[in-house]
Amino acid sequence: MNRDPYAIALNSALTEIKKAYPDITHSFIFTKNGTIITGDQETDEKTMNNVLESFENLKEKTKTIGNLKSFSITAKNGKLTLSNINDMHLLLATSKNADKNHIYAITHVIIPTILKTLETFAPTPLQVTPQKKLVVDTLSGFFAGDSVQIDVEILNDWTKNNDPRSRVKAAITGEQNMQESIDQVHIETFGGNSTLCKVKEINDQNLKGKNMIRIPEKLCRTLDINKGDLVKVKPAL
Amino acid sequence: MLVKNSETDDTENDVEKMLEKLQEIKDQEGIIGYILRGPKKASIDLKDPKKIIDYAVLSSAAFDASNNMTETLQMGEVNKIVVESEETKLLSMNINNHRLSIFMEKSVDHNKLYRNLK
Repeated sequence: MNRDPYAIALNSALTEIKKAYPDITHSFIFTKNGTIITGDQETDEKTMNNVLESFENLKEKTKTIGNLKSFSITAKNGKLTLSNINDMHLLLATSKNADKNHIYAITHVIIPTILKTLETFAPTPLQVTPQKKLVVDTLSGFFAGDSVQIDVEILNDWTKNNDPRSRVKAAITGEQNMQESIDQVHIETFGGNSTLCKVKEINDQNLKGKNMIRIPEKLCRTLDINKGDLVKVKPAL
Repeated sequence: MLVKNSETDDTENDVEKMLEKLQEIKDQEGIIGYILRGPKKASIDLKDPKKIIDYAVLSSAAFDASNNMTETLQMGEVNKIVVESEETKLLSMNINNHRLSIFMEKSVDHNKLYRNLK
């Protein structure tokens, strides 16, 4: 989860809202590209990731009917509501008898107001580090070096500036809205090992566009991973 | 267009009644069509037959995602799912051991449809 002041403020807001509305059982906020910003203090990260993964699968299929605007589930023991707020999604799970008006007030008034206020007053804007899950391919041989290789599209995606204020500034000044190029990435394995290493774009045409990260064999051994494993990768900005 | 994927002896009254209701619903303004999937057969009636596969995939994805989410959040069995895009809406529900998905324009009152079918 994001730990910048913006995310911490949102975390406090969600926790306080949960206290004020005991019918809320879980709440968390994530970006449209699937990065969790924060959640209430009683919802663990694993739960959020599981829900998010299911939602991302559905969102992909929803393109058939256009961009997803809202989503809700009424279940035997509760209700789950997903709302679009600015560039983010808010997920609220509530008990079965939660007051509809309260839920509407939270999703349409309280949270949007908090987000707007934070964007105005937060000392640093929301810093989203879009983590990707990539498949490991090993780099071997004399020229393997010590850098990992990633698709140029992924590197370009990471360099796009996500700060709305920067986007507005770029639109006004005509300057290109880009951050500096990515030189290093943070790799985390599902076994809990992690490292920071240099990154280059994949130079083998046959391996491009395959959601892959090429890692030198030596580094694979250090991280205790093999070809075909999944790793979590994010830019070290 | 009506497609029966398999012929079975499933002639339960509840399902027949539901199909009758669906025939009425599909003629209402703003209804794009429906997919009804049971253990042995499926009925699909969509205004645009070219979209059958896409809509069937979306319907299935809505049930799968909802089941995963409610299981993770310990919310129990799924009763109703509503997915909304800018112009289109999907109402899905479990009913009489069948999975029903109704596609409609956003202006349609899905709660009214749900009450009618439950």
